[in-house]
Amino acid sequence: MGLIQYIVSRVGAYLIVLFVGVTITFFLPRLMPSDPIEGYIAQMQNQAGQSMNPETIEELRTSMRKLYGLEGSIVDQYVDYIKRVFISFDFGPSLASYPKPVSEFIFTALPWTLGLLGTALVVSWLIGNIIGLVAGFYHNSRWATLLEIFGVILYPIPYYILALVLILLFAYIWPIFPLSTTILPGPITWEKINSIIYNSFLPALTLVLAGFGWNILGMKALSFANKEEGYVTFARLKGTPSRTIMFSYVFRNSILPQITALALSIGGVFNGALLTEILFSYPGLGLLMRTAIGSGDFNLLYGTIIMSIVSVATAALIIDLVYPLLDPRIRFR
Amino acid sequence: MKMNFRLKLGIFILAFFTLGSLILPLFNDVDPSQQGTYFKNLPISGDHLLGTNTQGQDIFWYLVYSVRNSLILGVGVSIFTTLISAVLGLSAGYIGGWYDRIIMILTDSVIAIPSFPILIVLGTLVRGNTNFFILGLILVIFGWAWGARTVRSMALSIREHEFINTSRFSGSNTVEIIFQEIFPYVFAYMVVGFINSILFVINTEAALAVIGLSKVEIPTLGSIIFWALNYNAMFIGQYMWIVAPVVATVVLFLGLFLTSTGYNQMFATRRGHA
Amino acid sequence: MKKSFLFTVVLALLLVSVGLVSAQEMTDVGTPRNETLIFQTFDRQTQTPDQHNPLMNFAIWRGFRELGWGFLWETDTGTGESYPELAAEMPIPLNDEFTSFEVRLKQGVYWSDGEEFTADDVIFTLDAYRELQGTSTWFGVARINAYVSDYEKIDDYTVRIDTINPAYDFSTVLGVYTWGSAFIIVPEHIFSQVDNLAEFRNTYPVTIGPYTVKEFDPNGFWQLWELREDWERSAWGFLDEDGYMPQYILYKDYGPEETRSLSFVQNAYDVDTFMSPDSIKAAQARNEYITTFSPDMPYHNMDDACGYGVLMNLQRAPLDLPEVRWALALSLDLANVGINSVNGEFVASPLPMVDTQILRPIYFEPLISWLEELTLADGYQPYNANWSAEFVDTLGQMGAQDLPEDPMNFGIGWWKYDPEEAGNLLSSVGFTQNADGIWQLPSGEVWDLEFVIPGDWNKVMQRVGFSIADSWRRAGIQVNVIQVDNAEFGVVQNTNAERVTMLNWTNCIFTPNYLNSWNNVELEYVNDADATDTNSGNQYQWSNATVDQLVKDAKQIETTTEEFRQIGREIIQQFVTDMAYINIMNIPTTIPTNEYYWTGFPKRDNYYAVPYSWWSSVKEIVANIEPTGR
Repeated sequence: MGLIQYIVSRVGAYLIVLFVGVTITFFLPRLMPSDPIEGYIAQMQNQAGQSMNPETIEELRTSMRKLYGLEGSIVDQYVDYIKRVFISFDFGPSLASYPKPVSEFIFTALPWTLGLLGTALVVSWLIGNIIGLVAGFYHNSRWATLLEIFGVILYPIPYYILALVLILLFAYIWPIFPLSTTILPGPITWEKINSIIYNSFLPALTLVLAGFGWNILGMKALSFANKEEGYVTFARLKGTPSRTIMFSYVFRNSILPQITALALSIGGVFNGALLTEILFSYPGLGLLMRTAIGSGDFNLLYGTIIMSIVSVATAALIIDLVYPLLDPRIRFR
Repeated sequence: MKMNFRLKLGIFILAFFTLGSLILPLFNDVDPSQQGTYFKNLPISGDHLLGTNTQGQDIFWYLVYSVRNSLILGVGVSIFTTLISAVLGLSAGYIGGWYDRIIMILTDSVIAIPSFPILIVLGTLVRGNTNFFILGLILVIFGWAWGARTVRSMALSIREHEFINTSRFSGSNTVEIIFQEIFPYVFAYMVVGFINSILFVINTEAALAVIGLSKVEIPTLGSIIFWALNYNAMFIGQYMWIVAPVVATVVLFLGLFLTSTGYNQMFATRRGHA
Repeated sequence: MKKSFLFTVVLALLLVSVGLVSAQEMTDVGTPRNETLIFQTFDRQTQTPDQHNPLMNFAIWRGFRELGWGFLWETDTGTGESYPELAAEMPIPLNDEFTSFEVRLKQGVYWSDGEEFTADDVIFTLDAYRELQGTSTWFGVARINAYVSDYEKIDDYTVRIDTINPAYDFSTVLGVYTWGSAFIIVPEHIFSQVDNLAEFRNTYPVTIGPYTVKEFDPNGFWQLWELREDWERSAWGFLDEDGYMPQYILYKDYGPEETRSLSFVQNAYDVDTFMSPDSIKAAQARNEYITTFSPDMPYHNMDDACGYGVLMNLQRAPLDLPEVRWALALSLDLANVGINSVNGEFVASPLPMVDTQILRPIYFEPLISWLEELTLADGYQPYNANWSAEFVDTLGQMGAQDLPEDPMNFGIGWWKYDPEEAGNLLSSVGFTQNADGIWQLPSGEVWDLEFVIPGDWNKVMQRVGFSIADSWRRAGIQVNVIQVDNAEFGVVQNTNAERVTMLNWTNCIFTPNYLNSWNNVELEYVNDADATDTNSGNQYQWSNATVDQLVKDAKQIETTTEEFRQIGREIIQQFVTDMAYINIMNIPTTIPTNEYYWTGFPKRDNYYAVPYSWWSSVKEIVANIEPTGR
């Protein structure tokens, strides 16, 4: 199999993943027992002042159903949906915030999530792996054990609690960062970028620390295993300096599964996004998802989930295509 | 074959938690999850080893039951996820071809679809009919794919090693190669994966508790954290309520971790390295 | 080289943070802190921050209804009485049937762009409502079109409006009952220029209230209002007496309670919304400027129109039996529920209505002796008139502080906690207990009771719900608690097939006009027990012919008469006898204030309005508060 065939097969798999994802995404929320219209009607009924008489409720219900395009069979809705998503990337209007289109929400939120979580992900991966490598390679030294213990203790702490402790430390006891995010409107200026970094620092830090522990442990186990490989022993006997062994031999081999892990943890990032963004009122996709679920807005829910499927699958594809370059042992057959 | 210190300490911690949480409840006849059994917010005393919480429950007893339930759930789910990911990952990585591609599409789909929203949707579907079995099943569904993909990429890399070819030429069949030659290399990673899986289960269970899919009336490490957060325990000064489950989780993890790395070292020694 | 670079970065970050911290005097959005009144938002984040067109569903929790707008009539939240706002006087009925009214408008009220407010604006809005029927997502459009039959401009400051049915509630439907109005008058000179009213967003609206939108977060976490220069000629500038109004008002989300409580202690904002009792206590211990509504238990204002109660599917076996419903009420240990979920800071109410200072003399006090003599079919007397006194005792034993002298501050009384009698009632209709003490249906199956409560989007209700379930479990009832999201909550509430029991708060009555909540407790709106069609009326789904007739009678009577109120008391008696709805407590509206920058918020000893940040009461609060000068 040549390189071109390899690429074609990977891209094909990528498209299939997207299709499966989009289909599951379409059908699952349809089964949800919540309904944006009933949600809105209940909200209005609950407002102390304005009880609605039954005619009003019926009237409102009918007109909203028609506006939202919730009539017609589920197969029709599905076909229409697949066409719209794949051809024009259109997720329809938000139901809870009709008639604002879902894509408008997504494109407002996406840069925030990608920026915050992308940065946190890469930073925690890099630092975690370097520490893990060192700890695994010099596994007998005392500070390697210390680093490892740090990872072991950090990793199992539930993210929400870790974040709360950091908030207590850096926003309350020693208040150098803000407790909640404030994003000023208006054009991008230096001042605004500054303010965004200042406001994003603490959420990013919590994510970095949360991702840290696992990278340390994973890398440590791998580099420890690889350093016992024959070629490492050979290099050592040959008199190669141990730093070179660590980076050129052990690191190159141990990093492969960790690269796969990085690509795949992007999926988890969107899960982490939910909690981070809720805790810090950070305006990203995660918060959007939560709102969509809370208000039964499934158009918005599809949009956000599909967006994350696309990002994660794309990242996995890129890694797949780059992988052979990093691991020369994989030959194309 | 001598047990090293790590392994001993790890096994000791695990034994302590397992035996403690299984035996202690035999000496207790109060349902720890019942509210208002005692006055609320009592300090630490002989009667209440960790005090009582804002719901009038004894924190110590609630914790004992929590550790027990979480351990059962975590170990049960992790056995399945680790097995599934090892079998699928190894076979896909070694056999390759169409089989590999189908497995990978399956794996990638499970990974690519962010689990949280789907879990919430599932949660509203099963609604009140959640029990530990369904909860475990859901965790298995979302827990295996990550490991499978990692194991596969390891297998992919290892199968290019020379000793595999040697083995192939000497007449071993696929199953033998996978289990005799590739498996031992992957094993170290799998043990780490198993520990990771237990933690994944405990943490995901906590997250599920927050969205109402888990049964938060049943004591687990997740539900205890759920309630402590719900009552803003850190801010109102109920430190024991939140510190106790976190310390328990960390120590429990430490035990699992030491056992696995200790075992790893012992394994490496036996193989004649290091 | 590398080290020095790192050092520079760290230094720069520190400088940035220190710089922003030392600028404490400014708010996050760049206004002087001591000129900015800050509310925690009611809904945390809005998805439609740029949507300020009130002809469509809009961002309703961002001060729009209170600061940006004015209505024909407003409600004085302290007394429950209506007063004219944009109107010059109360509506003048033109016929004996109460279906035609003359509305006189104030002269000299101006929109924020300098145009005068006139009858043309009113007529234009009524026209727009008709035009948008079926395409508008704002409930008011359907509401007003189903209410108003005809209208006509008489002169620039007078209109005539006719209604379809007798309209004794004219001033609260076209004006305000408590929370806002269905009828939001838009500026004719702006909206008549718009081609498609349904798509118009009106992002920076021309307002009629004293404030205009200065800025808002495109992500929907905050919105900043600025005082108009000519605020005195706005819709409600007349409320202010001392000539001072805050220059800026900010609605902002400070995050979930865990982080919000920290911001509150740091004086970052002034008024919180629904912080939980334990957190408020802890916050007060850390900051002396944080105050509650009253220095005595139960500390908070309990005059909200809505209460918490258990809504049941009255037609689904076994809940169709009054004995079973009474058993649920009698096995609910309210004292314990209240202590564990809201720290004992609540007001109990045995009647299907909130026990507030407006309603107590009219509906509660006259019924006390009836309650005391109330007997169930088996001769049992369920009412515990001593409930409040006993509750105060219990709190005292627990070491609670600030107990009130009058136990009635916790309510007039509640039902006895008597699982034994509950058991008798259940046995009397064929229930049995299994070996574990769990109640079984007459068929011999375990009675598995489904109980729907809000998830963490309403933490206080979530806690109350779990505590109630705990109480029932102790009485041997197997309860399956289901936490649901907001939208699903609405579905369960309005669909019989989905509903067994749920903790609900939609039983809302603020003024003595109970028809606000009970106008459709009529037979024609009762669906089948397992109907999948959504219900449009009678939220209790209660078939009671007596009540049906009483409601129909009440609609023909003026709402301020004694006769109208007597009918109300009779409806209440029916509710209780049938136990058609287990009312539990008034909503504990925990609105702590931070008086570091502002003072003069509504408190028990200065009760000019309810303290809520999401009702018309905000108008009075804004007009009454004063800067502390810090």
